[in-house]
Amino acid sequence: MADTVQPKKTPSDFLGAIIGHPVLVKLNSGIIYKGVLACLDGYMNIALEQTEEYANGQLKNKYGDAFIRGNNVLYISAAE
Amino acid sequence: MLFYSFFKTLVGQTVTVELKNDLSVVGTLVSVDQFLNIKLDNIKVEHEDQHPHMMSVKNCFIRGSVVRYVHLPPAAIDTALLQDAARRESQQSTATAKA
Amino acid sequence: MADTVTAPITSVEEPLDLVRLCLDEHIYVKLRGDREVRGRLHAFDQHLNLVLGDVEETITTVELDPETKEESVHTTNRKMDMLFVRGDGVILGLIPSILYTAPLPKKLDNHAINLFRPPRERYETPILFDLSKD
Repeated sequence: MADTVQPKKTPSDFLGAIIGHPVLVKLNSGIIYKGVLACLDGYMNIALEQTEEYANGQLKNKYGDAFIRGNNVLYISAAE
Repeated sequence: MLFYSFFKTLVGQTVTVELKNDLSVVGTLVSVDQFLNIKLDNIKVEHEDQHPHMMSVKNCFIRGSVVRYVHLPPAAIDTALLQDAARRESQQSTATAKA
Repeated sequence: MADTVTAPITSVEEPLDLVRLCLDEHIYVKLRGDREVRGRLHAFDQHLNLVLGDVEETITTVELDPETKEESVHTTNRKMDMLFVRGDGVILGLIPSILYTAPLPKKLDNHAINLFRPPRERYETPILFDLSKD
């Protein structure tokens, strides 16, 4: 069964698979960015499109394109 | 290495180094190293009244990691050259990673 | 609008490519310590050290009124001609969205994605400089 469906194996497989998809990025500060993951690198620097910034669950800002410095990232999760 | 080279071209200029603890130091840039540690001469601290213990300090070494900003003299900077260098360096670092 | 960028037209395949496309553009940068700066990007490196021109900095402070227990938000603005920003304070950089009109992510095949290996054929221009000279 495991042969027919290739499960996601490593964290970077996961990240690779969600490029181009809607994601949710939480920073250490608690601020959340939702957007389409344009790309990321090994430092977890992130480029997002159609970014929405949420603080305390409230939408604070909308941005076109945003760059997030990787050291601030707590997690990246696939939205939806 | 871009900013190391950049700061080396500014040696002799007067700069203001703003630290992460909000202390601002004005002085002549004496030297810089690869960590962007900075040596300043003829220094003066902004808001000296709040930092009286700094009044007798004439020169200093600032660890790069405690720097928040460095205010630079615009006249000393060729922005077109700087942008070209930044563009080159960013392409070069990707090329190196590729090899 | 992408034609106004003097850099060779490149695809954005890693986040720093995006920053490179912002050279000579007016950008917004969010920093640690509730600071924001806006200015023209003249230089950056992989640490996100920046040199910005015609900078406006905004510092946001929240004060709690001890009597009414109400929070009030204060902002202070500063203008600076030319500023070096140390990269470790950078949280977020925002890009003027006019920069590219085409959607960023090309759907890549799974096997082509390796985070730690840069994509091939990214630049149209040959690499002129050799790191070994440094």
